[in-house]
Amino acid sequence: MKGFYWRLVIVRLMSGKEFFVDRYERLGWKLKDVKPRQAIRLNITNIEGKSLEERLEAIGVEVEKVPFLETGYWVLGSKVSVGATAEYLLGLYSVQEAAAQIPATLFTDLKGKTVLDACAAPGGKTVQLADLMGNTGVVVALDVRKRRLAALANHLERCHVSNAVVYELDARQVSRLKLKFDRVLLDAPCSGNFAADRNWFKRRTLKDVERNARLQREILAEAAACLSDDGELVYSTCSLEPEENEVNMDWAVKHLDLRIEEVDCYGDKGLTEVFGSRLDASVEWCRRIWPGETQGFFACKLKKRESKL
Amino acid sequence: MKFAVQVGARFSLNADLTVNRAGRYFLLNKALLEVARKNFYYAGTYLGKVKNGKFFPSFNLLAMLAEGEANKIVVENKAAWLFICGRDVFGKGIVAVHGSRRKRDHTLVLNEFGECLGFGRIVGSLGEAAKKGEVAVKNISDIGDFLRREI
Repeated sequence: MKGFYWRLVIVRLMSGKEFFVDRYERLGWKLKDVKPRQAIRLNITNIEGKSLEERLEAIGVEVEKVPFLETGYWVLGSKVSVGATAEYLLGLYSVQEAAAQIPATLFTDLKGKTVLDACAAPGGKTVQLADLMGNTGVVVALDVRKRRLAALANHLERCHVSNAVVYELDARQVSRLKLKFDRVLLDAPCSGNFAADRNWFKRRTLKDVERNARLQREILAEAAACLSDDGELVYSTCSLEPEENEVNMDWAVKHLDLRIEEVDCYGDKGLTEVFGSRLDASVEWCRRIWPGETQGFFACKLKKRESKL
Repeated sequence: MKFAVQVGARFSLNADLTVNRAGRYFLLNKALLEVARKNFYYAGTYLGKVKNGKFFPSFNLLAMLAEGEANKIVVENKAAWLFICGRDVFGKGIVAVHGSRRKRDHTLVLNEFGECLGFGRIVGSLGEAAKKGEVAVKNISDIGDFLRREI
């Protein structure tokens, strides 16, 4: 009973707004009021940007290009819900947070490739991958929760995706498919962040973060094993916690024969020193996005080491 | 494809690429056929499902049928929006009619951009109904269903 009490005290101490805000300050970011802007993503397979802009303007939706995205738009104002217009239902665009649009764009040359979307539901990034592939090649999309597969299937049907195959499968068992992938998107299940969830500080503890980090490593190891020798793996989370981000990438570099590729995209450099621990220098090539115009996000591109080729 | 005939379309599918998965039909391409295992949840282009012996077409299939010769009506903006909201099409909202005008026939409903919004059953003479302001096409299925499914 005494042990249980102390465990409870420790969990309480390692949670709450003060605890996490202090961590962010030690990582170099000061908490501020943030309100991520609503964003949409044009489905280029289904319509050209100019035409969509005109059609949205005609129904009272004012948009502006997101400067760091090819097909992303901020929604400046709207007389209607952007998730319920005819254009949305026809799959001409998707409602997708701006930072969440980044990971799929980090791959080089997706056309005709065999691509894995390891944790796919509800399918925003699966549709984006299919769109960037121009419906060529194959996207294998997995999710472990059957309930969420219906939303994924709806998303694929709405956006006229024709090159995806969806399985109810835990990403830690992807080798059961006996496939090698040219590209792997691992948008890992994570703790999320306060900018996307107003009760985040009340609900999350460091224990959650550590549990998620372990799960992410298990998925990473399996995904890396299914990556073709010259393949690319993009890892992303919407967590701000370094254990789920830079620390995991440091682990991947040291344990999975992967190396980090430098990417040129929106965001800050990855942290190479986390709470007194020095990480591999290449971790700075990751991208960390502190909340602001977008929610918090993290993305990193990895490739197999040359020695494995 | 009985349904294609119902909407006056000439349409055929490659049987080798069409897969029935627990009453749901999918059209795969060769690349997908190579990697798809039997236990997939969704693959390629969803064509529709059979429930209680009746075929319910997907919106992807409707869009494919709308690309060719078929019974089609083109409706103006407001009628298009009301149709997506589950309402029937009044004659005055119809801009153009292609194919059958016969009562009880099925027809695809397109917006002025030529995009398929769903389909319905002709219940009034399309030309005369326009004058009387009566329901001309009864809504059977529309893309607003994507939102209704999520409720």
